Amino acid sequence: MCLNNPYIPMPVEIIKIIDEVDTHDIKSFRLKFLNPEDEAKFKYLPGQFSELSIYGKGESPIGIASSPTQDGYVEFTVQRAGAIVPGLVTAALHDMDEGAKIGLRGPLGNSWPIEFLEKKNIVVVGGGFAFTTLRSLINYMLHKDNRSRFGEITVIYGARTPGLLLYKDELIQWEKRNDIRTVITVDKGDETWTGRQGFVPAVCKDVAPSPANTVAVICGPPIMIKFTLPVFFELGFSKENILTSLEMRMKCGVGKCGRCNVGYKYVCSDGPVFSLAQLEELPRDF
Amino acid sequence: MLKKTSISEISDLAAQLMGKGALIAPVREEAGFNFREISDAKQVDLNFYNTIISPKSAFFPQTEDFVRYQTGKDILEATPVELNIKPAFLFGVRPCDVKSFEIMDIHFTGTGAVDPYWQKRREAAAIFGYAFDLNTPADGADFYSTLGIGAADPEGSDVFMIKKGDDLLLKAITPKGEKLLAEMSVLSDATPDDLNYFDDTVAAGRAFKTRFTCVEAKPIAKKFEDLFGNTEFWEKVSNACLSCGACTFVCPTCYCFDICDETLFGKGTRRRVWDACMFTDFTLEASGHNPRTKVYQRLRQKVCHKYSYHIRKYGPISCVGCGRCTRACPVNIDIFSIVDEAMKA
Repeated sequence: MCLNNPYIPMPVEIIKIIDEVDTHDIKSFRLKFLNPEDEAKFKYLPGQFSELSIYGKGESPIGIASSPTQDGYVEFTVQRAGAIVPGLVTAALHDMDEGAKIGLRGPLGNSWPIEFLEKKNIVVVGGGFAFTTLRSLINYMLHKDNRSRFGEITVIYGARTPGLLLYKDELIQWEKRNDIRTVITVDKGDETWTGRQGFVPAVCKDVAPSPANTVAVICGPPIMIKFTLPVFFELGFSKENILTSLEMRMKCGVGKCGRCNVGYKYVCSDGPVFSLAQLEELPRDF
Repeated sequence: MLKKTSISEISDLAAQLMGKGALIAPVREEAGFNFREISDAKQVDLNFYNTIISPKSAFFPQTEDFVRYQTGKDILEATPVELNIKPAFLFGVRPCDVKSFEIMDIHFTGTGAVDPYWQKRREAAAIFGYAFDLNTPADGADFYSTLGIGAADPEGSDVFMIKKGDDLLLKAITPKGEKLLAEMSVLSDATPDDLNYFDDTVAAGRAFKTRFTCVEAKPIAKKFEDLFGNTEFWEKVSNACLSCGACTFVCPTCYCFDICDETLFGKGTRRRVWDACMFTDFTLEASGHNPRTKVYQRLRQKVCHKYSYHIRKYGPISCVGCGRCTRACPVNIDIFSIVDEAMKA
């Protein structure tokens, strides 16, 4: 962040835009810092987020989709908001071309607890668009320097349709590897789909990961979370070993503007990553 | 160091302070008193009870410009607004309001990211606290005794002022205050009698009672945690609430803000402005989800923030019992009564 002022964004250039889904409303934006000193300072871990900033439109808090093991850029996958509330920033971003310059504040928030995850088996469960910081975590763990620090890795990822799956090229790469189990499912396949069909909770039940020395990292739409959690309880996962990431409306991102609290925790600075045990201590105000 | 001046000559002191920096003091306005930067030393008037809006705006103004930009121009041409901060004297701050600065310090500079605006303004300011007049009964809305704040507590001030008949006694509390008072040639030395009067008043201020109920930080925090799910309680206490946010705007410890871009003819400013958890869209997310759509949920957020969340997060209760929210509320919602009722619930 700019010169000891956490509210001033750093300038970045969009070096690549990837159209992720067949509905064209989710794109990944690869950003490069314009000042080398900003790039050197931007040290992040999977699970953190940043505020993407466009003067005249505003700012949006977006999870970091790239892994810190990927050098030279930082990537964000952004859905165009606006179905219900006008999404000024995401719409402006979606209308931009490669080469455009925007602002970035971050990295913000805590991260997936890497030290806690080390030496454990990891089950990553993702639904729909909420796969971005999970993908960051997976790529981080799969990196050759990191892979030995973690046990077995299982990924269960579902989307409504095949065309809505994010990061398709990477999913194919992961499926080819023997050090990660990748289970992809869609609610409803099309004529070309040969993979699994079914909702994420049912697939989790089917895959039935063992809770022994295992942490489940779960992100998805509320309805998926609601039906997935009981599956993991039934499998014997403790609340300390189920992690998720919360969303709330945010402005400052650094725990000052008072907007994103759930009880005494600010999602932006105390979170966004919480264990289920931590969440159960908080009032149901999210 | 204890000094004094005649209240009839207060403008001489004001003028001397204005020669050293910005003087921010209560000024009589149409609806009542408010803190303003003084442009004419004669404006300073100590015949006030308390200001309508708290003095927090001296460090956390209602609007704060962050960056100036032009739409369509390169982001590199956007320029952060220079923080041009000069020494300031915050004059005539009541003890409960002085206490509020300490509570806000923990949030803005004491924990996590440092807010440079609050920090720099706070460092550049000297606080001239001012005891309530113990010969006048406390306003019916006030309840600072409940929060353990005396009517004449000097703690937190750099200089603390007590009225003695036609005179104003000024005591240096901090080294910063000591230095300042030494430089004020318009002040005269106080007598041993003045010193006794000062000490007696501070003591009497502790015995001076506003509305009072026995509240301790940790038990009340727990009480509200337990009450969170009691929708009946919250619906009852918020029944009349209009969600207007007036309580939060006059409050010395409300710090919520929005960051917004204001553009006109291609030229714009990114700034922060005070916001309020009482507003419907405060927590409205881009997905359309809003965790606090109901009035009772928002009033619950405000009360629990001050009397529960803030305690769990930072330690102290985030309320100083200044009574402003109760005076400002158009439908007579009174946070003291809510706390009192919660204790009994």
